[in-house]
Amino acid sequence: MSEKSSTPRPPVDDKLLAANTSFTLKTGLAQMLKGGVIMDVVNAEQAIIAERAGACAVMALERVPADIRAEGGVARMSDPKLINEIIDAVSIPVMAKCRIGHFVEAQILESLGVDYIDESEVLTPADQTHHIVKHNFKVPFVCGARNLGEALRRISEGAAMMRTKGEAGTGDVTEAVKHIRQINQEIRKAANMPDEELFVYAKELGVSYHLLKDTARKGHLSVVNFAAGGIATPADAALCMQLGCDGVFVGSGIFLGHNPEKRARAIVQAVTHFNDAKVLAEVSTDLGPAMVGRTVESLKETEKLAGRGW
Amino acid sequence: MTKPEVTIGVLALQGAFIEHVSHLQKAVATAKAGSKIASAQISVVTVRTVEQLSSVDALVLPGGESTSISLIAERTGLLEPLRDFVRVQRKPVWGTCAGLILLSDQASKAKKGGQNLIGGLHVLCQRNHFGRQTESFSCNLALPFTNPYDVDDLFPAVFIRAPIIEQLLDDSTARLGALKIEDNSEESLVVSAPRLEADKDDATAVEIICQLPDSTGTEAGDIVAVRQGHIFGTSFHPELTPDVRLHAWWLEECALPFVL
Repeated sequence: MSEKSSTPRPPVDDKLLAANTSFTLKTGLAQMLKGGVIMDVVNAEQAIIAERAGACAVMALERVPADIRAEGGVARMSDPKLINEIIDAVSIPVMAKCRIGHFVEAQILESLGVDYIDESEVLTPADQTHHIVKHNFKVPFVCGARNLGEALRRISEGAAMMRTKGEAGTGDVTEAVKHIRQINQEIRKAANMPDEELFVYAKELGVSYHLLKDTARKGHLSVVNFAAGGIATPADAALCMQLGCDGVFVGSGIFLGHNPEKRARAIVQAVTHFNDAKVLAEVSTDLGPAMVGRTVESLKETEKLAGRGW
Repeated sequence: MTKPEVTIGVLALQGAFIEHVSHLQKAVATAKAGSKIASAQISVVTVRTVEQLSSVDALVLPGGESTSISLIAERTGLLEPLRDFVRVQRKPVWGTCAGLILLSDQASKAKKGGQNLIGGLHVLCQRNHFGRQTESFSCNLALPFTNPYDVDDLFPAVFIRAPIIEQLLDDSTARLGALKIEDNSEESLVVSAPRLEADKDDATAVEIICQLPDSTGTEAGDIVAVRQGHIFGTSFHPELTPDVRLHAWWLEECALPFVL
């Protein structure tokens, strides 16, 4: 990338560089991605197809989750060469994945200039106990969650955007739906609690009382929440949006299906017009077969990725 | 006497549109007695279709990804109606960040795929001027018109992968395709909005509303807010901070005078 930091940025007011302001910048980019589709891509060519289809960002990775699942082995951060090629190919934000707890992979990704890091359960975790302290970075992070406890722990660590874990690489949307409903249910439950019960609930969830109280008062997470994990069709995407998500990640669902560009465009339209069944019918028409996928029920416990993360 | 009804739309194809809706509603709710805002019955709606667009008197184009928004607009059949709204009917519009890019007659730093612009604002806008997300920043801007009572009261501005206004294209010969694209390399690819019949009788000048200090902090640098009659554009995000002064100012001074 040519625009390292030679750009004429004005001197920044130190007062404004307080933690909450830099957090505003991190959550702010996630707010700009809302109502959009973030697509997994494994090379510059796919990134260009994704951008042309209307993706609001791309996730650069070496193998899509379905292939990681099929091929097995340790899944790690992508080669910087690949990430740089993708950064150079598109004007939309580029995200990349690092392993859970692998703060050095995160440092490397930050230095490459990626716009968001996904500390992702799709890669093999590097730490069985700890997540990255994301406040220490200037680049924002997105993390996966299955329930409110996980989501609030990640936000405490500095995640500026959340997504459901779903079950990546399956093309089966059930787990994503389960996680969206679980988080919404737990927030509604907390919203109806008096303080005494909230203190106990915070202990149960393993989260800070203040963050829980703030979330309960707002009625939603304090950061943007996307759906991810198993979304394969425009209808899947609209389902997640109607359930209250701010946008969707589509991983294996696009480039493992037939006619990726058409499917990608259809999912983008479906996320904008998620409440308009006529548009949904139109964009769902004649897309060819979706990825074959695997049902979540057919997975062995050890094959499930969503259990990773603590 | 019944108040005149005014509908303000926020383009909701992709991006941070809810934030604008709630800021506009808050600006309406806190309007001072005697203001134009208080004299009208204002409703704020999201706009995703041609029918919705035709029902609004003024429109905010939010931040988001400008390529996504323009592609979705095109496929929803909204691109031409938006051009008509801005450049033929000349209804009041405000673009923030991606919205500013879309309203510009020209934008630079597009990648291979190019990009469709709505156009109307006679400027050349440079996308991602400051670089990638780690170069995003916030700073206080002097926008004295948002608070006539205290000119030292600065406005908090958040710049996220922000564009700037690189050049004013007031001279009509220099606009809309008439400007030669000198450097066709990938990094500096310039895209232009198409010329419309209605452009001929549009001679409104572009007014610079705000410039950042340059990198030394002493002189005026990059242009980050401009107004050209009914079109207002900011490269920062007033919808991301709790301050609704700019939304109130836009309604009062830019939108309602054209509507009421």
